[in-house]
Amino acid sequence: MSLSLRPAMERRRILLGGLGALAALATGPAAFRALAEHRGRRAATRAGLAFGTTVSLTLVAERDDAFEPAFRDAFAAIRAVEAAGSLYRPDSALSRLNRDGRLDAPDPLVLAMLRFALTLAERSGGAFDPTVQPLWTLWSDGAARGERPGPQARAEAVSRVGWRHVAVDETGIRFARAGMCLTLNGLIQGFAADRVMAALAAHGIADAFVDTGEFAAAGAHADGTPWRLGLGAHGDRPSEVIAPFAGFAATSGDDATAFSPDRRDHHIFDPATGLSPTALSRVTVTAPSGLLADGLSTAAFVMGEAAGAALVRLYSGCAARFTVKL
Amino acid sequence: MRRAGCRRAEEPSLTGRDARTALCHLIAILFVFLALPAHAGTLGRAGMEKQFPPPLVVGERDDRIPVWPILKQEAGSYEVIAYAFESIDFARIPGFGGTAPNLLIALAPDGTFRDARVTSHHEPVFLEGLGSEPLFAFVEQYVGLSARQPIRVGRPNARAAGAAPATTVDGISMATASTRVINETMLAASLAVAREKLGFGAVNIGLRVEAKPDVEPLGLAELERRGWVKRWQITHAEVDAAFADTGLSDPDPGAPEKPFAELTLAYLNVPTIGRAILGEAAHARLMREIGPGAHAVMVVSSGHWSPLPDEFVLGSVPDRLTIQQGGLTVNARDAAWERRDLAPDLPAGPWSLLKIGDAAGFDPSAPWSLSVKVTRERGQIFPEKVACEIAAEYRLPPELFTREVPDAGPSWTDSWRARGVELGIIAAALALLVPVLARQDVLVARARPFSLFRFGFLAFTLGFVGWTTQAQLSIVTLVGTVRALVHTGDFGFLLYDPPSLVLWGFVLVTLVVWGRGTFCGWLCPFGALQEFVAFLAKPLRIRQVTVPPRLDRALRQVKYVVLAAILLAAALGSPLADTFSEVEPFKTAITLYFIRSWPFVLYAVGLIVLNLFVYKGFCRYLCPLGASLALAGRLRLLDWIPRRPECGSPCQLCKVRCRYGAIEPSGKIDYPECFQCMDCVTIIRDPAQCVPQVLAAKRGKRLVPQPVAAE
Repeated sequence: MSLSLRPAMERRRILLGGLGALAALATGPAAFRALAEHRGRRAATRAGLAFGTTVSLTLVAERDDAFEPAFRDAFAAIRAVEAAGSLYRPDSALSRLNRDGRLDAPDPLVLAMLRFALTLAERSGGAFDPTVQPLWTLWSDGAARGERPGPQARAEAVSRVGWRHVAVDETGIRFARAGMCLTLNGLIQGFAADRVMAALAAHGIADAFVDTGEFAAAGAHADGTPWRLGLGAHGDRPSEVIAPFAGFAATSGDDATAFSPDRRDHHIFDPATGLSPTALSRVTVTAPSGLLADGLSTAAFVMGEAAGAALVRLYSGCAARFTVKL
Repeated sequence: MRRAGCRRAEEPSLTGRDARTALCHLIAILFVFLALPAHAGTLGRAGMEKQFPPPLVVGERDDRIPVWPILKQEAGSYEVIAYAFESIDFARIPGFGGTAPNLLIALAPDGTFRDARVTSHHEPVFLEGLGSEPLFAFVEQYVGLSARQPIRVGRPNARAAGAAPATTVDGISMATASTRVINETMLAASLAVAREKLGFGAVNIGLRVEAKPDVEPLGLAELERRGWVKRWQITHAEVDAAFADTGLSDPDPGAPEKPFAELTLAYLNVPTIGRAILGEAAHARLMREIGPGAHAVMVVSSGHWSPLPDEFVLGSVPDRLTIQQGGLTVNARDAAWERRDLAPDLPAGPWSLLKIGDAAGFDPSAPWSLSVKVTRERGQIFPEKVACEIAAEYRLPPELFTREVPDAGPSWTDSWRARGVELGIIAAALALLVPVLARQDVLVARARPFSLFRFGFLAFTLGFVGWTTQAQLSIVTLVGTVRALVHTGDFGFLLYDPPSLVLWGFVLVTLVVWGRGTFCGWLCPFGALQEFVAFLAKPLRIRQVTVPPRLDRALRQVKYVVLAAILLAAALGSPLADTFSEVEPFKTAITLYFIRSWPFVLYAVGLIVLNLFVYKGFCRYLCPLGASLALAGRLRLLDWIPRRPECGSPCQLCKVRCRYGAIEPSGKIDYPECFQCMDCVTIIRDPAQCVPQVLAAKRGKRLVPQPVAAE
C-alpha cells in the first residue's frame, strides 16, 4: 500500500533519465526547437503541487493559445481528485470520512476510487487494502519518536485494518469498526493521470506527457520523437527506459518515505502483518489506465514477484517490471 | 407680478437641479480620477514569471489561496524552492498614511525568506522623501531570516551593534512607524501562508509554556478541592436541556437530578498533579514518552454513560471527547497508557490519557474545555443520529507554569518607553505653557519678559519638538484617521508615534478652550520657523505687502478647499490624498531638514520667503491642518481676549498691530484666524500702550480692563 503522507519527492527520483531528457527538450536546444517549429508544433510545460509532491504537464499543440485553457482544465481535474481523496487536505471527502467514520452523499470521484480499490482488494486476496492507514499512523508516529513499533502495537493496528469492514453504497460510506481509516494514496495519483488525460483529450490535445506522481503519455513530442520514460536511478541515469512510452505507468518502490535507512520499513505495508514487504525494491506496471497501473503496482509490490505477476496477467494490456531487493 | 411669482417659484428648483447635476458630475469625475487602490494581489502568472524568471519555474497557483509555488527543475524532476505570494492577500496592515503596503514574499519550504520585495507602498516618509531605496534595502534584510522566529525592528545599525542577527533587522531613523508596519506585514502574511503550506505556526507561535518542576505533596482530595483534578458531573437534566430543541427524549431516562455521566479530568504535566495520580516513576516515564513540548490530560469516566465506550480503541482519537481552547479544537489522541499506573483512589471506569502534541499550540496555563458528544437517534428503521456537545472548563493557576512569550517585536508600548525622556520634556514644556497663557496678568502683561519667553518657547518648538523629536503634527495623521475610519477601522498606527499623539491630545483640549491658536501660534514647528525668519524682515528692510481685505478674505477660504480635497480623496481611498498632502511643507522643512529633491525644497523655501512679505501666508491661506483646527476650534468655549468698549470704536490699535488680521475693524476677534500670539493682550494690559488707557490717564482717570469673558 502506498501511503505517503509526506512529500514523496524520492519517488520522483527513480524516474529520471528519459523524462529528464524530455524536459530539457521542452525548453530546449536550438536544433530541437528548429525541428519542432519546422513541424509547426510547440510544447509547453506547467508544473504545480498536488498530492504532497510536484506534478507537471507537458503539452504539444499547434497554437500557443491552445495551452492555457488545456492547462486550466487539467489542473482543475487534479484539484477535483484532491478534493475527493487527498489525505493532504483536511477538508477532502476522504479526510472527512476518516474523521467522522462515515460519509453521506459521497463525491462520485471518491466512490469511483474506493469501488476500484475494494474490487482490487478482493482480486489480490487482500494484498491491496485501502484500510491500512492505521499502520501508517503507527509507523510514522513511531518514526517521529525514533522507535520501531513492537509486535503488540502492530497487532493492535492490524486489528483495525480490513477492507471487508467498509460499507459502500450510493447514499454513503461507513466503517463497520471503530478506529478505521482509509487511504487512497495507493491509486490516487494514477487516477489523477486518467482524469488529466481525459481533460486534455477534451481540448483536442493528442500529444502530452503527464506526471501526476505516476505517468501518462500520448502521441509524441513536438519534434515527432516518441516519449521516453526512465525507470529507477542508477547514479544520474535511469536503470531502464521505456521507449516509446504511451499509455500509463506507475511505480511502487521502497525508497519513498523509508522509515529505516536500510529501507526495510517504508510506506508500503502488508495488511496481514503490519510490516513492509521485503522481497522487492520496486515494481513498475504499465497499463491502459492510471488507476490500474497505480493500484496493480502497489498490490504486486505486496504480493511479491510470482503472485504479483500472476495478478497483473489477469488484466489485459498490463505488464509489470520487478526489481528484486538485494 | 404673476410672472415674477412664477419665476421665483421656478428658480430654486432650477438651481437645485443644476447643483445636483454639477455635484453628480463632480463626483463622477472624482471617481474616474481617484483610482481606488488595489485591494488584492495584482501580479498574476505573468507578473510572477517576471519576478521569478527561468531557470525558475512558476508553478500552478494553489487553488484555495493566492500562493504560487516556485520550482526548480533538476534532471527531470521538480523541486519546490519557495512559495511566492503578495502580502496584501494575507495581511492588510494600514501604513502610516493609512494604506496597506504590498510586498512580494517568497518563503522557502523550511520557512526562511528566499525573497522579499516591495511592490507598492504609500508610506509618506519614503514617497518623495527619503526615497524608496532605504525601504527596499530594509526589506532585503529579511532574505535568509526565518519566519519561524519573531523578527523585530531594531535601531539603525542594530545588527552591527550586536543585536541578534537572526531576529533583528536594522531600522530606519525617521521611519519607525513605517518600518514597523512593513515588519508586521512581512511576518503576518508569511505566518498565514506558512500555516497553510508549511504546516507550522499554530496560534501561539514561539510561545513556550511549561509546567514548573516544583512539587507540592498534595493528596487527591486537596487537588480536587483546588479544582486541579476536576470532578465533572453531567445530570440527565443537563443532557435533556442540550437536546431540548431537537425534540428527542432520553432513550434511557433517569431522574433529572441523577448523574448521566461522571468524569474526572486532570492535566498531568504539572508534577504536583501528575505524581499524585501516577506516582513519581510512572509520571517521569509518561513525560519522557510523550516528549518535550507535548501535554498529557487524564480523563476517567465513572458514570452511567461513558464518552469512552467499550469499542474505544487504545491509541485512537476519541470521537466523543474533544479538547478545545480559544474556540479551536486541540488535536488530542489517546496515549495508550496502562491503567495500573493510575492512582488507586480514582473512580473505577474507562479512562484515557490524551496526548496533545507540541505542534497543537496548546497553552495549559490558559483555560481550556473538555466537551463530550452525546448522540440520540431519531426514527426506528433508518435512525438519524443527532449529536449534542456539553462542555466543562478546566483551568490551572498560571503560577504553575513558566511562560516564555516570544519577543513579539516592537509593540506600541516599546515606542512609548523608548521615547519617555522626550515625552517628559514635552509634557514639562506644555505644563509651563498653560499657566503662562491662562494667567494673562502674570507674564503676558509684561511685554519684554513675555517676548523673551515666546522667543524661547518657539525655539524649543522648532528645535526640539520639530527637528529633534519629529513631532510636527501633520495633515497626514488626519488622512490616516479618515482612511482608518472609512476603510480599515484600525487606528493602531496612531499609537506608534507617542510625542505626536501627546501633542494631538493637548491640541484637542486647547482647541476647545482657546481655539486653534495654541497649536498654530506655539506648537507648530514650521510656524515657529516662519516666525524666526520673519525677524529678518526688518533688518532686510522688507516691507509687508498689504493684501487687500477682499482678496485676504477670499484667500483665507482656500485652505478649507485644500482640506476638503485631501479628506475627500482619503475617504474615497485614493492615493491622491498622499499627493495632495504635499501642500504641507512640513515633511520637507522639519522631517527631512530640507534634504529632499529640489522642487520640494524650492516650494518650502518659497513659502518661507513669502512669509517675509505676507506674514505666515501659508498658515493663513493654505494650511489644511490649520483649516481643520480652525473648523474644530469653533467649538471654543472661551472668548479669552479681553476687550474694552473702545476697541474698534474708536481705537484700532490692536487691529492694526495684529499680524494675522484676526481682529475686525469693529474690534471683534476672529478666533478661527487667531494664532494666540498674545500681542493684543499685552497691549490691552499695558497702560502705556493701550490708547483708551493712555487717554484716560491723561484725563486723570484710571480704566480697569474689562475682559468680556473669564480669563
